[in-house]
Amino acid sequence: MRLYYRLISISMRSQMQYRFAFVVDVLSVLFITAIEFGTLAAVFARFGHIGGWTLGEVAFLYGLVETAFATMDMIFSGFDPDYFSSLIQRGQFDQMLIRPVSLPLQMFGQVFMLRRLGRIAQGVFIFGLSVWLTSLEWTPGKALYLPVVFVSTVAFFGGLFVIGATICFWTVQSLEAINIFTYGGTTMLAYPLHIYGVWMQRFFTFVVPGALLIYYPALYFLGKPDPLGLPLFMPFLAPLAGFGVLAIAFAFWSFGVRKYTSTGT
Amino acid sequence: MVTDARQSLPFSPLAAWRAYAELARKAFQRQLAYRAANLAGLATNAFFGALRAYVLIALFDARGGENVAGYSVRDAVTYTGLTQALIACIALWGWWDLIRSIRSGEVAVDLLKPLNYFGYWCAQDVGRAAAQLLLRGLPMMALYALVYPITLPPTRWHWLAFGLSLGLALLISFGWRFVIGLSAFWVQDATGIGRASFTLTTFFSGFLMPLSLMPDWFQAVCRYLPFPAMITTPLEIYLGLRAGVDLLTALGVQAFWVVALYALAQLILSAGVKKLIIQGG
Repeated sequence: MRLYYRLISISMRSQMQYRFAFVVDVLSVLFITAIEFGTLAAVFARFGHIGGWTLGEVAFLYGLVETAFATMDMIFSGFDPDYFSSLIQRGQFDQMLIRPVSLPLQMFGQVFMLRRLGRIAQGVFIFGLSVWLTSLEWTPGKALYLPVVFVSTVAFFGGLFVIGATICFWTVQSLEAINIFTYGGTTMLAYPLHIYGVWMQRFFTFVVPGALLIYYPALYFLGKPDPLGLPLFMPFLAPLAGFGVLAIAFAFWSFGVRKYTSTGT
Repeated sequence: MVTDARQSLPFSPLAAWRAYAELARKAFQRQLAYRAANLAGLATNAFFGALRAYVLIALFDARGGENVAGYSVRDAVTYTGLTQALIACIALWGWWDLIRSIRSGEVAVDLLKPLNYFGYWCAQDVGRAAAQLLLRGLPMMALYALVYPITLPPTRWHWLAFGLSLGLALLISFGWRFVIGLSAFWVQDATGIGRASFTLTTFFSGFLMPLSLMPDWFQAVCRYLPFPAMITTPLEIYLGLRAGVDLLTALGVQAFWVVALYALAQLILSAGVKKLIIQGG
C-alpha cells in the first residue's frame, strides 16, 4: 500500500512539473463546465423539462455520473485503453511483467491523472446545484446509500476500462467501441433513461448495466416513480452491478495476462 | 538537399496550384487507407447522434411538438445528424500535424519548400476533409435518413449554396486550427492550448445546439467570432433558414473570416519564422 502511495506521488509530482499545462487544463475544464451547464440551463429555460424531469433532476444524473467517471478516470488511468495500448506497443508492459512488484499495483500506480480533479470538482458542483434546485430531502437511508452508489459507479466504469485494456492484448490498438460505452455511456446516463428507445434502455439496464447505477438510484433519491414499471428493488442493485462488472473485468484481465505471457511475446 | 530547395525559385501560380492538387490528392488517399479507424469513428458518431436525437425529440415533446426558434423537430434532428456527420470533416476537435511538425523540427524543412506554407497545409487538410466527408459524413447522413425523417435543402440553389458554405466553413476551421497550431513556435504545451481552443470551437460554433436556441446575449457574442461560420452557417443554409439577401450575407461573412484568418495566420507565421531563425532552427 505504501508503495502505491509512493508511485502515485511520483506521478503527481511529475505532472506538477508541467504547471502551465496543468493550469490551462484546470481552467479549461472550469470554463467547459460553466458553458456546458449554461447551455443545459438555457435549453431547459426554453423547453421546460425533458421526459418530465426538471433541470435540477437532470443535474442530479449529470453531476453523479460525471463525478464518478472523472474519479474513475483518475484512479484507473493505467487501464485507460488508449494509454494501455501504448504501454503494449512500446514494450513497457513486458517490462512491468518482469518486475518483482505485483502487476495490479504497477497498473494502478502508472498514472494518477491530477488534472481530472478539475472534472471531479465540476461534477461535485453540478451535483450540489441539483441538490439545491430539487430541494432534495435527505434521509439516513439516502445519506448512506449515496456513497455506495458513487463507489459502485466508479467500479463500473473502472471495469469498462479494464475490459478495454484487456482487449488490447489481442488487438494492440484500443477498440473505439469501448469509447461508446465509457464516453457514450456517460453522456447517455446524464439524461433520464425513458427518453431513449426501448432497445437502448434494455441494453443499458441488463447488458451494460449503467442505468442500474445512475438512473434507478436517482429514482430513489429524487422520489420519482419508475415509468417503466420495473420491480421496486431496482434502485438498490447498484453495488451488485458496479462490482459485478469490475469482478468480471478483472477475471477477464487475469485471463488476458495469462494468455499474453504464455504466448511468449 | 536543403540548400537545393533554398536555391529553387518559388513556383509559378499554375505550378503551385498543381502542387496543391497533388498534396490534396495524396492526403485524400492517405485518409482512405484508414478505413477501419474511420469506420469505428462512424460507429461512435452514430451512437452519439442517436443520443442527441432522442434528447431533442424529448425536449420538443415537452413543448407539445411545436416549432422552436424556427426549428421543427425534424429540423432539429437533422441538425444533430449533420453536426455528427461533419465532426471528422471539419475537424472541430483538433488537428495536431502542424504542432507535431514544429516540435519535431520538420517545420524547418517544410518552410524551405517553394510553396506558400499555409497553402501547403491547407491543401492537405482539404484532401483529408474530402475523404472523411465520403467515409463518415455521407454514410452518417444516410444512416440518419434511414432511421429518422430528415429535412432536405428546399431548392437546387440551397444545395449549391450549402456546398459552397461547407467549403468555406472548412477553410475557416482550417485557418483557425492553423493559427492555434502556430502557438507551438512559442509554447511548450501547444497541445493544451489546442485542446482548450477546440473546446471554444465546440461551444461557440453551434455544434451542441443550434445557436438560435441560445440566449440572445450569447448569440450576440458569437456574431463576432469565427466559430458559427464553421458549423451554424452551412447548416442553417441547408435547412433553408437563410434565404435571399440573408443567405448572401451569410456567405459573405464566411468569406470575410477566411480572409481574416489567412491574414492573421501569415502575420503570426512570419513572427514564428523569425523566432525559429533566431533560435538557429
